[in-house]
Amino acid sequence: MAASPFPARQLSRRSVLRGGLGAFAATAAGVPLLSACGSNESGGNAKEMSFWNFYGPSDDQGPQSKWFVDTVAEWNKNNDVKVKLRYIPGKDYLNGTTLQTAFQSGQGPDIFLISPGDFLRYYNGGVLQDLGSALSDESKKDYLPGLLEARSVDGKVYGLPMEIEPLAMYYSEAAFESAGLSEADLPKTWDQTIAVAQKLTNSKRYGVMFETLPGYYQNFTWYPFMWQGDGNAIKDGKSAFDSPASVQALKFWGDTIKNKVAPRKALGDGGGDVVSNLGSGAAAMQQSGIWAVADMRTKAKTFKYGIIPLPTPDGGSAATDLGGWAFVANSKGKNPEAAAKFIAWALGSTDAAGVERQRQWNTVVKTNLPPRKSVQQAADAKGAFADGALKKFVSEIAPTGKPEPRFPPEVYQPIADAIQACQLNAADPAKAAADAAEKIDTFLKTYQGAPIS
Amino acid sequence: MTRKRREALAAYAFLAPDTIGLLIFVAIPMVLAFGVAFFKVDGFGNYQYVGLANYKLMAGDDQLWASLKVTAIYVVTFVPIAFVVSFALAMLVRNHFKGIGWVRSAFFLPNVVSLVVVGLIWQFLLVDKRGALSKILAPFGLGDVSFLGTPSLALGTYVVISVWFLMGYQMLVFLAGLKDVPKELEDAAQIDGAGSWQRFRYVIWPLLRPTSFFVVVNSTIGAVTGLQAFDLVFVLTKGGPARATSTVVLYIYEQAFTFNNMGYAAALTTVVVAILVVCTGLMFGVTRGGRFDED
Repeated sequence: MAASPFPARQLSRRSVLRGGLGAFAATAAGVPLLSACGSNESGGNAKEMSFWNFYGPSDDQGPQSKWFVDTVAEWNKNNDVKVKLRYIPGKDYLNGTTLQTAFQSGQGPDIFLISPGDFLRYYNGGVLQDLGSALSDESKKDYLPGLLEARSVDGKVYGLPMEIEPLAMYYSEAAFESAGLSEADLPKTWDQTIAVAQKLTNSKRYGVMFETLPGYYQNFTWYPFMWQGDGNAIKDGKSAFDSPASVQALKFWGDTIKNKVAPRKALGDGGGDVVSNLGSGAAAMQQSGIWAVADMRTKAKTFKYGIIPLPTPDGGSAATDLGGWAFVANSKGKNPEAAAKFIAWALGSTDAAGVERQRQWNTVVKTNLPPRKSVQQAADAKGAFADGALKKFVSEIAPTGKPEPRFPPEVYQPIADAIQACQLNAADPAKAAADAAEKIDTFLKTYQGAPIS
Repeated sequence: MTRKRREALAAYAFLAPDTIGLLIFVAIPMVLAFGVAFFKVDGFGNYQYVGLANYKLMAGDDQLWASLKVTAIYVVTFVPIAFVVSFALAMLVRNHFKGIGWVRSAFFLPNVVSLVVVGLIWQFLLVDKRGALSKILAPFGLGDVSFLGTPSLALGTYVVISVWFLMGYQMLVFLAGLKDVPKELEDAAQIDGAGSWQRFRYVIWPLLRPTSFFVVVNSTIGAVTGLQAFDLVFVLTKGGPARATSTVVLYIYEQAFTFNNMGYAAALTTVVVAILVVCTGLMFGVTRGGRFDED
C-alpha cells in the first residue's frame, strides 16, 4: 500500500453542515463505518513511510524546508525503507482536520510532528510508538533533563523533541526612545509592566501585547505567569487551578486590557507574530518565543529590539514555558519499527553527522535552543549563543523554564475559557479560576489515561 | 423517443452532477451522522456503542447552549437585515441607467471572493487602533474600539460583514424575481391610478413571494451552517473573544477535531439538522411555501 495522501480538506465554499459532517464524509470515503476498528492489517515490511509535517517540501523552498528534504534524502540514500515527506501548511496542521480524519479512517501518517499539547490525545488514542528500542542509551543521556520525560509514559519514550522554544518579552528600542524611556525602565514586575506600558501607549501603539486568540498557543503563553506565583493547573492528581497564583495571573492579563495598554486583537498571525506587531510599531513590548529571532532576522533586518525575561509578580519567581515540537511514530502505521529508527537517527544520532544535523536545525535554519547537550556544545563552539537575544535566552531565560504541559483537551478548555473571560470579558478572576478548577476536577475523576503533567 | 422524453432525459443529465455531489457530500454523510451519533468515537478508528449517551450529554453542556444562543442571535439579526438590504439594492438597480452594469458588479463583487480572503480583508480594516475604521472613528473619540476583540461587538461585526458578503447574491435572486413580475400588470395598475407605493405594495411585493421565501430560508440555513458561521469565525476570532462568536457549527468542529469527540459531534449535527428542518417547516407553514394566494 503506497502512502495514500488523504484528501486535504481546505477551507472551501462547500460547507453545508460542514464541521461534523466533514468527518463523516471522510469516513464514508475511506473505510466502511465500524470496520475501521483494527484497520491495522499492515505488516512490518512496507517499503515507504509517510512523514507529515509543516516544514517541507514547502513552496518557498526555504532553509527549514530544505533541512527536512535533505534529512530525508540522506536517510533514503542509506536505507531500504524510504521516507516520503508530505507538506501540510502550518494552519491546516495546527487547526485543520487533515490529521484527525486520517487517523480516524486508519490512514494516519507513519511519522508526524506533535506539540506537547497534543501528546496525551495521541498517546491515549494508542497510536504512539515506543521509540525505546531504536534509541541508544548514549542518545537518551544526551538530552537535557525533563525533555524526554515530558514525552514519556512509564519510562518509555514516545517522542523526540527537535527543539526547545522558551518565551520572553520582546521590546522595541525605537518605541522606548520615542517615549523618553531607557533600558533602566525595562519592567521587572507586573506592576512595572503596566506602568511602563502606559507610557508607551499612544494613539497608534499599544504598550504591551499578549496573545488574545483562544487556542493551545494562548494557554502555552499564559502558563509562565501562573508558575511565577508557584501555581499549577493540576497537582497530585487533583485540580490546583483554584489558587492565588492562577487568580493573580488571570487578573494581570485582564488588567493590561482594562488599562487599555494592550490590544484586544493582534495583527498578522497573532500574538506570536513579532514581525507584524512589534516590527510594525503597533506594539512596544510583546511576549513571544525564541523563533521570533529568526523571523526578525529574515523579515525585519534593520529593526532594533531587545528581549527581557517575562516580568514577575511581587514576590514571585522567574518562569518561562519551554515549547517545542517532537517527531513521533504511528504505532499503527505500516512499519512502526523502521519509523522509530528513522526518528532516532534523524534527531538522536550522537555521531558527528547527527550532531551537525541537529545543530543546523537548532541554530542555523531556525533559532531555538538545542535539546541535546552535545548539540549545545557544538553550537557554542560556533558562537551561536555568544551575543544578543540568543545569549540572553540561553543564559537567563531558559534556565527558568518548564516543559510545556501536556494537558488533554478537557483540561486545556476550562483554562482557555478562564483566560479568555478574564482577559477580554472582565470576568472575576477568582470565580473564573474556581469554575475552571471544578470542571477539571470533574474530568479527572473519570480520566483513565496516561499521567497528566 | 418522444420529444417530452428526450427533454426529461436532458434535464436529468443536467441535474446529475449536482445530485451526485449532494448525495456523496451531503445526504450520505448526514445519514451516517445519525448512525455515528450512537457511538463514542475517539478519532483513532475506535467505535464504542453508547446508545443515547451522546444526546444525554447535551442537557448539561453549557457550551452547547451558549453556542446555540450565539447562533440564534446571529440568525435573527442577519436574516432580516440581509433581506432588507439586498431587496433595497435590487430595487435600486432594477431599472436601466448609465453604468448599471458597473453598479451591479460592485454590489456582487464581495460574493466572488473566498470567505477566507474576506476575513483577511476585514481583519485588515478592523485592526485595533491602526485599522481604517479606527482612523475614521478616531475624531469621534472611538479610535480605541476593538470590533473583533470586544465580546459585545464581535457578533454584530460578523452580521455586518456577512450582509456585505451576501447582499450581492441575494440582490441577484431578487432581480431575477423582479424580472418575472409582468410589466403589463404594473402598467395596468398605473393606468388604474396606482402610485408607485401602491404598485409596489399590491403588485410587485405579492408576486415576489416565492423569491422572498427562498431568500429567507436560504439565508437562515446559511446563517446557521454556512460559510459565515464557520469560515469567517474560524479565520477571524476562532470563536472568541471569550466565546462571543462561538457558533454551533464551530462548536461541532471543535468537538470533532480538537477534542476528538466525533460521536458527540455527530449527535450535535443531527440536532442542528433537526432544528433546521423544524425552522424551515415553520416558515413553509407560515408562508405556504411562498405560493401565491390563489394557488
